[in-house]
Amino acid sequence: MLQQAQQVVNGISGADIVTMAKYIGAGIAMGLGAIGPGIGEGIAAAHTVDAMARQPEMEGALLRTMVIGQAISESTGIYSLLIAIVLIFVAK
Amino acid sequence: MELVWGKIVKSINWTFVANLVNFALLLYLMERFLYKPALKYLDRRRDRVAAHMEAARKSQEEAEQLAAQRREALQQAHDQARITVDEARAHAEEIIVAAKKDAKRAAERIIEIARRELAKERTEMEAELRRAYAELAVMGAARVLDREVKLEDHRKLLDELLAEVDAEAADLQS
Amino acid sequence: MSGGLAQGIFAALASPRLGEKLILHIPVAGTYIDIDIITIIMSWVVMAVIIGIALVLRRSLRQPVDEKPSRGQMLLETTLDFLKAQLAGNFSDETLARLLFPFVSTLFLFVLVSNWIAVIPYFQSPTSDLNVTLSFALLVTFLSQLYAVRMNGVRRYLKGFIEPYPFLLPLNIVGEIAKPLSHSFRLFGNMFGGAAMLTILYMFAVTSVGWPLIVNAFYGLFEGVIQAFVFAILAVAYINVAVENQ
Repeated sequence: MLQQAQQVVNGISGADIVTMAKYIGAGIAMGLGAIGPGIGEGIAAAHTVDAMARQPEMEGALLRTMVIGQAISESTGIYSLLIAIVLIFVAK
Repeated sequence: MELVWGKIVKSINWTFVANLVNFALLLYLMERFLYKPALKYLDRRRDRVAAHMEAARKSQEEAEQLAAQRREALQQAHDQARITVDEARAHAEEIIVAAKKDAKRAAERIIEIARRELAKERTEMEAELRRAYAELAVMGAARVLDREVKLEDHRKLLDELLAEVDAEAADLQS
Repeated sequence: MSGGLAQGIFAALASPRLGEKLILHIPVAGTYIDIDIITIIMSWVVMAVIIGIALVLRRSLRQPVDEKPSRGQMLLETTLDFLKAQLAGNFSDETLARLLFPFVSTLFLFVLVSNWIAVIPYFQSPTSDLNVTLSFALLVTFLSQLYAVRMNGVRRYLKGFIEPYPFLLPLNIVGEIAKPLSHSFRLFGNMFGGAAMLTILYMFAVTSVGWPLIVNAFYGLFEGVIQAFVFAILAVAYINVAVENQ
């Protein structure tokens, strides 16, 4: 069994390790990068709901502002998506 | 010209340009077929609605003006009527006052006439009384003197007597 | 040749490969013009749908102005009102709003129908191609800079880059570059994520029945509306910010 493992290890080249690292890196980038926008957008949505409950007549403006704010706070998530895509499809 | 499989991010390619051309075409067609006619139509209808609103507003204003005029006319009529009634009342009062005055005057005149007549009658009665006194006195004197006394002869005596009687009557009257 | 083209397109539509696209490779004057044929065809489908609906709705405009509005007219009017109020209404400048209303509404409609069209099986939305989103985002950036220069003059435009402090110049430039990147990658990421998840679902026998429809409906319909709205409203906001701040 140890011999088998040795054989497997011997069969792994540097390119394999790079490939593995790429996928792990992409996964970490996307997973960690999704935390911030998730929390941030949730907070934004919660406060918008508060504001809407307080002033229902402002609903349209609040919704617009919320969407823009969420889109901007989503940018960090988008950047991590960019990094993940670059890691998976572009990095050699 | 051939078909190949390409990786996605690497494939920033002429699709970029083709998409812009597509979008320009779509924008032109939409502008030509939808936005321009639709916006023109909406503008036309908005103008029409605005014109109708304006007309409605104007007619309402006119109606309000008419109502105000009518109200004013009514008010004027009311005022006129009140003035007329007031005038009539004043007139009537004047008439009443004048009539009262006239009546009073007439009454006073009548009273005056009556008083004067009363005084005249009284004077006459007194004169007659005096005459009667005189005759009685003459008759009395004749009887007392027991002789015929001629009236003319004793005129002086009688006048004195009369004056005494008059004075007495005046004393009595006062 | 054309038989091979049609076959290739059908193959690409029937079994999309994760991370790969079908590219039409046209040799022109020593170099190649690469065009993503699926994206272009799907864009044409989207355009045909939009223009078809536009033509149908336009027929309702034939009746006289004084008549009671018909059903199509109501739909058209509601849509235009929505586009005017929610998108073009965010422009701070009235002339800018009137000028860019067709652009912003067409952008919104194109992205919306593109996102929605992925609900139909074997259809791929053009917005899951980075070329499309990046071209739109760069177009928006170009327009924002153009109007910033035109509304404020070159001096004030250039001065806007060294405000509030001159040493923030690199940061301002990076911010301007980051705008189209995040703008395009947001839409692309969402749509491509949906498509990728769909492809993965089709890979496994257990999930290939039923689940793709649900995921498709969510990504195509719900996310589609939100992302199209975000994309259009961010286009408005970027142009607005560029015109106001520069």
